Amino acid sequence: MPSMARDETSKYTDLLPDGKARQFTLVMDAKSVITRPSGEQKLDRPGFCEIRGLAWSGRGAISRVEVSTDGGGSWTDAEIEGPRYAKSFTRFRSPWRWDGRRHVLMSRATDDTGYVQPTLAALLEARGRATIYHNNRIKAWEVHESGEVTNVEA
Amino acid sequence: MSRRSGLIPAALIVVAGAAIAAESERTGLGHQATAEELGAAGYTVFPDGKGLPQGQGTAREGKAVYQQFCAACHGRSAQGEDAAALVGGRGSLTSERPRKTVESYWPYATTLWDYIRRSMPYESPGSLTNDEIYGVVAHFLDLMNLVGEDDVLDRESLPKVEMPNRDGFVPDDRPDTGG
Repeated sequence: MPSMARDETSKYTDLLPDGKARQFTLVMDAKSVITRPSGEQKLDRPGFCEIRGLAWSGRGAISRVEVSTDGGGSWTDAEIEGPRYAKSFTRFRSPWRWDGRRHVLMSRATDDTGYVQPTLAALLEARGRATIYHNNRIKAWEVHESGEVTNVEA
Repeated sequence: MSRRSGLIPAALIVVAGAAIAAESERTGLGHQATAEELGAAGYTVFPDGKGLPQGQGTAREGKAVYQQFCAACHGRSAQGEDAAALVGGRGSLTSERPRKTVESYWPYATTLWDYIRRSMPYESPGSLTNDEIYGVVAHFLDLMNLVGEDDVLDRESLPKVEMPNRDGFVPDDRPDTGG
């Protein structure tokens, strides 16, 4: 029997809307984040800007990463750089030409189980608001006309 | 999942031990942990009481210990202040703002004993005697109306205390989003 230590019982458990809590939620589902451009960075001028980031999954290796520059309206496959290992940071990149206008950048990872990183709305629908760990929702950054990049929930 | 999480730490300890031995040979730094050192750090208290030491305490005794060592951070009656609330929140888990406390959320009382010995008081973990820890745990359980003020808690009686949310857990059935 597990020791049911403090973090096992009160942290790595996810409370659901019906009052029951998932137990031993140790695995992180597929997740990704754009690291450039990202919050607190600033684009100097319109023109070529390579989008770069990291993706990972607790269930396997990353098989695909898509990038959106219009807030999830359309998606482009990013190039995945090696090495690709299970549960490991995996680099991705995607060429982009910034036109100087406002954009919302997002990345969406898929792992080799076929699992696709969800939207925040999908997570809230499935889990409610009481879970704390394992927030792997699609992350968005807002690029302003000034070139400043800020955190945004899109 | 539950079976795995019980096995992995044991495997890690064996691997780490081997790595430390190899490293000390190469660099002359560190040493293999002695049985005494492992005894001081390698304890674990299980829900069935395995690992609980001798000793005993009551809520009446533990209240004074609580006021001296715990109340400054956890509040006069463990309602939470700078540090987490230990009591309250029962019935709130299905609400818009669930309050996850030891009382409302933790499935086993033995976890309190294990965590206090491991990590509390914040400035000097390990400084309380076993009797003081039994007493403080009894005080919390008294505040939760789970034991009486003069009930004696020890390695036999503590595992028998049934926490309110004992059956509040389900296996991890993720992935729960289709993506």
